[in-house]
Amino acid sequence: MNWAADSCAFFAAVQPLGQLALSHYLITSAALFAIGLIGFLSRRNMIIMFLCTELMFQAAAIAMIAFSRFHLDVSGQVFVIFILTVAAAEAALALGLVVLLYRRRETLNADVWSELRETPTP
Amino acid sequence: MADRLPMVDKLWFILPEVALFLGVVVIFIMGLSHSKRVRDMLPMITCLSLAVAFGLTWWVYEGSRGQTLLSVNPNLMLMPMVGKYVKMSACAIGIILAMVSVGSVDRRLEAAVAAGHLPFDPIRANRGEFYAFFLLSLMGVMLTCNANDLIWLFLALELTSLPTYIMVAISRPPRVAQEAAVKYFFLGAMATAIFLYGFALLYGSTGTMILTEMQRAFAAQAKADVVNSFGIIGMILAMLGICFKIAAAPMHFYAADVYEGAAAPVTAFLAFVPKTAGMVAIILLLTTLGWSGHPSTGLPEPIMTTLWMIAVLTMTLGNLGALLQRSVKRILAYSSIAHSGYMLIGVIAGPANNGINAVLFYLLVYGIMNTAAFAVLAALERRGQEIETMEDLAGLRIKHPGMAVVMAIASGSLLGVPPLLGFFAKLYLFIAGIQAGQIVLVVIAGLNTAISAWYYLGLVTLPIMAKPSAQSETIVRSPFPWPRIAGIVTAVAVVVLPLFLGPLIRASQAATTPASLTTGVTISK
Repeated sequence: MNWAADSCAFFAAVQPLGQLALSHYLITSAALFAIGLIGFLSRRNMIIMFLCTELMFQAAAIAMIAFSRFHLDVSGQVFVIFILTVAAAEAALALGLVVLLYRRRETLNADVWSELRETPTP
Repeated sequence: MADRLPMVDKLWFILPEVALFLGVVVIFIMGLSHSKRVRDMLPMITCLSLAVAFGLTWWVYEGSRGQTLLSVNPNLMLMPMVGKYVKMSACAIGIILAMVSVGSVDRRLEAAVAAGHLPFDPIRANRGEFYAFFLLSLMGVMLTCNANDLIWLFLALELTSLPTYIMVAISRPPRVAQEAAVKYFFLGAMATAIFLYGFALLYGSTGTMILTEMQRAFAAQAKADVVNSFGIIGMILAMLGICFKIAAAPMHFYAADVYEGAAAPVTAFLAFVPKTAGMVAIILLLTTLGWSGHPSTGLPEPIMTTLWMIAVLTMTLGNLGALLQRSVKRILAYSSIAHSGYMLIGVIAGPANNGINAVLFYLLVYGIMNTAAFAVLAALERRGQEIETMEDLAGLRIKHPGMAVVMAIASGSLLGVPPLLGFFAKLYLFIAGIQAGQIVLVVIAGLNTAISAWYYLGLVTLPIMAKPSAQSETIVRSPFPWPRIAGIVTAVAVVVLPLFLGPLIRASQAATTPASLTTGVTISK
């Protein structure tokens, strides 16, 4: 019995997601993604900016799960587990960097950090 | 469904990565050692593991077991032989990059420890981490080539990127390095989210994560003339996200700041390693579309248009941006953006016109010549600080003739001056573009090369012909010989390798020959 058969057995009792329900999930995920993107571009607090990227990750995860149920294919859900793991790794990295910067400047505002910028030739 | 992935067979092809991982573990531990001699061995161990991985790659792909596995199961990977070429070039250039980075990390700490000012504290030492992350990121590139699964591709791309954020942060003590790391990290996380969303839509369009099956699903859609719009949007989002890794147009704005903030060896690393991973990922993803459905080159119209715009914007913005700079690192950053634009010509041309071979060849050549330029910056210093501005390079020939010549050769090759390696790589790309009928694109690229001559010729002539400036008088060699050696080796390679052009180009052609691509071409309508 291989992996595909396993997933079929798992889904044997499960109905696939209908087109309408799928579109609801996709609209939710697109909205989440848009909120995350707009928040990332408009906010300057580093923690909020990081939360916004997490929001975008979860938007992708919701879309994956909805598609997984729509296609009755388990690999979308497996991907979501990996997304969560990578998101956790990124969170660890983000918090480390943010703490490092906070110790230097005592603020979370990203705009204070602007030593690197365009300096056109006079 | 007959050809489910036999995971064990795939594991055979990641043997080189396993070897690198063993190296990573050893390096992590050795970096904590109290003995200075052990810590100084870290770059050597790094080079050693890369050399082992280089040999293993050849053995794994060319040995009888690898050949049998590939012939028994052609669906094992989408483009199996790309792995051999890219892994071997990543290992070879990785060795050079490790040489360039000798002595850059933890220099102040090591000096203080050596002078007896403070005891060695493993918590404060970063060298072990630096070389371990160096190898992990190269592992990410190597794994990207083996991806036959969106999950694998995603994890490999993340494995390439995540270590580089830390490498930027610990590369040198000044605040700018940390600022660069944060900018790089946040924009990188956003780009990751974008291509992840693209992957979700690709999955939704085809109902499979596996690239070879995805290729079949897209081919079926193209045959029935109903290419799912999810697939198109997903592919465009995925490409946009990966544009961050190759520093291409809509996602290129971080490059100049990050390259300036990081230490020169790390900048050289950033210009080659994530770019290679991103290019391979784009090639793999576009191959799932089968290069079918478009008469001349084989990609669906919206994808072609997006790629075309990205290519034109990338090279134009890169070259125009470089004109305004005084910092050598920023110039090289913008040049790195522009070179991504040139490489996209090959992607647009597609495998039928030797475009993909040209991109793979260009990646190797770009890695060599770009590392040569950064090796010069790493090999010279003023009061322990890296040299940065154009004035620093002026009249370098008087005190540092070797480095002046290396800089001139590297910039000449980046510009594409005829007898040097960069010229042949660029020519190969442009020929692919012309074969694909992309005359306008190649003309734009030619004009861009003309613009780039302005600043590249500055980098060629300043060290060799200009009078030394007051600033360049104070420049001394860094106390570590390895960056100099790396610079000389790469410069010699740039001059000598054109004599071995035939074998190199044949190697890049072998990387894209097998069945997967040709079947992709035959299913076009």
